[in-house]
Amino acid sequence: MGRRFVRRGLLSENFVLYLSIVFFAILYLFMPYIASGRNLANLSSNLWPLLALVLGQMFVLILGGIDLSQTSIMALTSVVGGMLMTTQLDPTLFEKSPLWGILLSPQGSPISGTALAVPLGILAMLAAGMFVGLLNGLAVAKGRMPAFMVTLVSMMFFSGLAIYLTKSENIMYLPGGFTMLGAGEIGPVPYSFFVVLVLAAVAQVVLKHTVLGRWFFAVGKSIRTSVVSGVPTERVVILGYVFSGFCAAVASILYSARLACGRPTLGQNLLLDVIGAAVIGGISLFGGKGKVLWAFFGALFFVLLSNALSMLALPFYAEPVVKGAVILLAALLDVTRTRLLAREIVA
Amino acid sequence: MRAWRWICVSVAVAALVAGGISCSRRGDAPARTSVCFAFQDLETEFWVAGHKAITETLKSKGIEVLERNANQDANRQLEQVRAAIARGVNGIIIIPQDGESAVTIVGEANKAGVPIGVFNRPPANKSNAAIVVVADNERISELAVSYMAEQARRLGRKATPLILVGDLGDNNAVARRKGFMNVIEKNPDLFNAVIEVPTKWDAVTAQANLEAAMQSNPGVDFIFTSSDQMYPQIRAVLEPLGKWKKIGDPGHVILGGVDGDARAARWMKEGYVDATGVQDLFYEADALLTELLRAIEAGEKTPNKWIEDPGFALTQANMAERAMDMWGYKLFAEQGPAAAR
Repeated sequence: MGRRFVRRGLLSENFVLYLSIVFFAILYLFMPYIASGRNLANLSSNLWPLLALVLGQMFVLILGGIDLSQTSIMALTSVVGGMLMTTQLDPTLFEKSPLWGILLSPQGSPISGTALAVPLGILAMLAAGMFVGLLNGLAVAKGRMPAFMVTLVSMMFFSGLAIYLTKSENIMYLPGGFTMLGAGEIGPVPYSFFVVLVLAAVAQVVLKHTVLGRWFFAVGKSIRTSVVSGVPTERVVILGYVFSGFCAAVASILYSARLACGRPTLGQNLLLDVIGAAVIGGISLFGGKGKVLWAFFGALFFVLLSNALSMLALPFYAEPVVKGAVILLAALLDVTRTRLLAREIVA
Repeated sequence: MRAWRWICVSVAVAALVAGGISCSRRGDAPARTSVCFAFQDLETEFWVAGHKAITETLKSKGIEVLERNANQDANRQLEQVRAAIARGVNGIIIIPQDGESAVTIVGEANKAGVPIGVFNRPPANKSNAAIVVVADNERISELAVSYMAEQARRLGRKATPLILVGDLGDNNAVARRKGFMNVIEKNPDLFNAVIEVPTKWDAVTAQANLEAAMQSNPGVDFIFTSSDQMYPQIRAVLEPLGKWKKIGDPGHVILGGVDGDARAARWMKEGYVDATGVQDLFYEADALLTELLRAIEAGEKTPNKWIEDPGFALTQANMAERAMDMWGYKLFAEQGPAAAR
């Protein structure tokens, strides 16, 4: 009975969710404060921006590609939004920016302090994210270049551009209307939840209920078959990267608002978390496989793991070791699960 | 099966988003006094020594220390501090990535009513309350550069000054640059135009940029580093150019820096470095801990105090009297060259 239960759990699509629940339950025995209201609010606040990134990455992974430039899109869009919205810039820090005297002044940008600053700033961030995604998509689809190389190069280029535009300075004094996106709540529910909920709903509808969604999976499984079947593969690939850029910009909005500043180095250590969460959630690196729920499970597991490690009184050097070991264990369980599934299908 | 899945997902989401409704704002506080010490990579000797002084003092007082390394990621540090608050720590000490993120993190601690101390890298503004211990970097740099300027006067010609600038998002770097510039501007008869080399506090960046600057300005004969950690990079660039010379040798580049670490101690003793601005690390660590522990004891939730370390400059002229006041010199004296690699 017990063995069958474990086997069913292992073979279930929801394996990572069960793993997260078991992990949380075990942690609760040793650290009951992990279930405190404050910590659940922390988990929530950490989860939604990461999920936005994983959702974007998922679309590209389904296509059989990868988007390494998501973190540089975050940095670039954070800087773009920060420059447009800030109400104060220190000339000592910013006078060497190439935009000083053109777009930037000690009072910020020409729209700083107006009612348009926040909406235009956010729109500019989203547009910048989609633009970088478009460039990536065009290079992959039209230029037939490997996604890994294209997005690696754009990661380097746009990270550098973000640093160049600000001369590596952080942009403070963002308006309250923007920063509340990262810190504001409706009752106990953070704004970021609603933002990412909309994003997840769009992703779910597109993947599950539209022809476009079926094209994504078809291209990821076999691009040649898709071409023969009349799927507009180039447009699908471009759309995938544009959506990834859009999601990275959404995550950038949430992280920048939370930190209350535009940062040219925003997210530079996040890439492994994003790809790790996607893969642990069950989204295949080889394309053709992915679900919004799996993205959620993967992000949830990652956030829970990081949170737990932050709470344990481990020596600081042990934290990455434990994190790596737990991820390895999760990956091993996933491999075991895949083997069992394969055997079951054969049987 | 589908129903079961949706129940699990709904429970997980509901627990996360509605966590704040039913539970208290503070986690269950551990019985023992605990302090979260959140820092960025301990990339320089100054931070390593500061980390050691703080953790050892706390542990010796029977305080549980929750050490967190954010690996130069301000967002991660914010998450770590939030987790520590949820765990119910009694106090927080941070070495922030930069002054801007310090403002946000201090604000989080203020909101939660947990006293917070900021070690040596001050918040970009004073909008939130914290115990901040910071060296008077402008004055310390000015003292060191003034001595270097005296040496430049003896050259009998204008010197070409170069400064290795730290991360200007960090107030320490801004103040050190300002101290340097104050002296240069006061002595227009002594100096040609200043060459500024950005380092971002990163050794690799520093070496690459310094190499490029020395190629295009071979006449540089006056170098000030905003952190003593850059001396190995300065040596690596100057040595092949035949410019790593002792004081008094023809072609000696007038050298100085700030921090007062063991490398500076070694090269001052060996006669390569003219002066170094010294932060009193042990005083800073002690002052921060004393004030934070006092606030915890008194139940103060948002103590607000800026403590300044006046520092001093160790020069070739006052080395005999003041060398042992420099923390790096003590390390060098205790551990020998191993402390000054």
